[in-house]
Amino acid sequence: MAAPAAPLPQAPGPATALEAFHLPRDRGQRLCVLRTPRGAAPRGALLHVPAFGEEMNKSRRMVALQSQALAQAGWAVLQLDLDGCGDSSGDLADAGWDGWVDDVCAAAGWLRERSGHAPVLWGQRTGCLLAAQAADRLGVATDLLFWQPVVNGQTALTQFLRLKAAAVLQDGQGKAVMDGLRSTLAAGGTVEVAGYCLPAAVANGLGRAMLAPPAAANTAARLAWIEVSSRPQATLSPAAEQALGRWRGAGWQAAGQVVEGPGFWQTTEIEDAPALLPATLAALAFTPAPAPAAEGAA
Amino acid sequence: MNVLHEVLNMLDEVLSLGGRAASFTRETALLGAVPELDSMAVVSVIAMLEERFGIAVADDDIDGQTFATVGSLVDFVSDRLSG
Repeated sequence: MAAPAAPLPQAPGPATALEAFHLPRDRGQRLCVLRTPRGAAPRGALLHVPAFGEEMNKSRRMVALQSQALAQAGWAVLQLDLDGCGDSSGDLADAGWDGWVDDVCAAAGWLRERSGHAPVLWGQRTGCLLAAQAADRLGVATDLLFWQPVVNGQTALTQFLRLKAAAVLQDGQGKAVMDGLRSTLAAGGTVEVAGYCLPAAVANGLGRAMLAPPAAANTAARLAWIEVSSRPQATLSPAAEQALGRWRGAGWQAAGQVVEGPGFWQTTEIEDAPALLPATLAALAFTPAPAPAAEGAA
Repeated sequence: MNVLHEVLNMLDEVLSLGGRAASFTRETALLGAVPELDSMAVVSVIAMLEERFGIAVADDDIDGQTFATVGSLVDFVSDRLSG
């Protein structure tokens, strides 16, 4: 088990402690940041599984704010930079989707030992795909918290690859660029997109990923699904409702909601979604959803 | 669903326009006229369109006209919604 580094100089809050350390892995090490309530045993633990690329960068502030709020409410919260991402060792070009799932499992195991609680896996965007696969690999009932989940990894991969075609989209040359990227990845190569060297081992894993409940036996647990929309009184999309239905069908207690705020993982400027902070805290009570209204009810 | 209204809301949010999109009309020029709409922002807008409207934008769907004006973008979305 990695020894935590000394707390960072800046004050993380009146009642919390912050530790940054490297979690050793089979290859290299992963930067981890742990926030815990000070002077009290944590009431539970969460492991944050980040979004990919620029979505992760744009979300760092909200994730830090949420982690701090959670720690102040008594949770132990571990943030993890995956292999080749953020401040972890290695290059993205040498990483792989399957290795990322293992990173999540390893960090979950570390957090479980450290906190005394089986951690909730808190995924954001494509991190939700990793969290669901990690829950399956862990093979035990693992509660999940999803921020703006990506349901279809292929869509997310396409959206990322489009960054390469961005400069030529208006010339109608997008398809030629996209075809080139896809054939290089299909052949096992690495593509350079917006400064990221994306290897086939990551792209193909992402491209195949569909958000689904773990298939392993006895893994059904509780799922809180939170989306953020700037539209007032926004409701979950039909695709999200269908996805939640699938999780419930697999024996999960699953609840979804939309909070009002900007799509901060995608906005040009770094934006805050303050409503997300209390909503996430409340969602971790995993209160069972009320029974569906009868047909024709208002 | 008022597609124009939804598209303007989405543009304002993705481009961090701070409410400027409220004054846009179908005739408002986008690409080349709205400085926040650079080629990277176009990719973010397409992704948000896909997620907000539940449409899939194919690799050859976008051309020089799609983002020319608010109207051309609204027509693009409406077309995908009915397709």
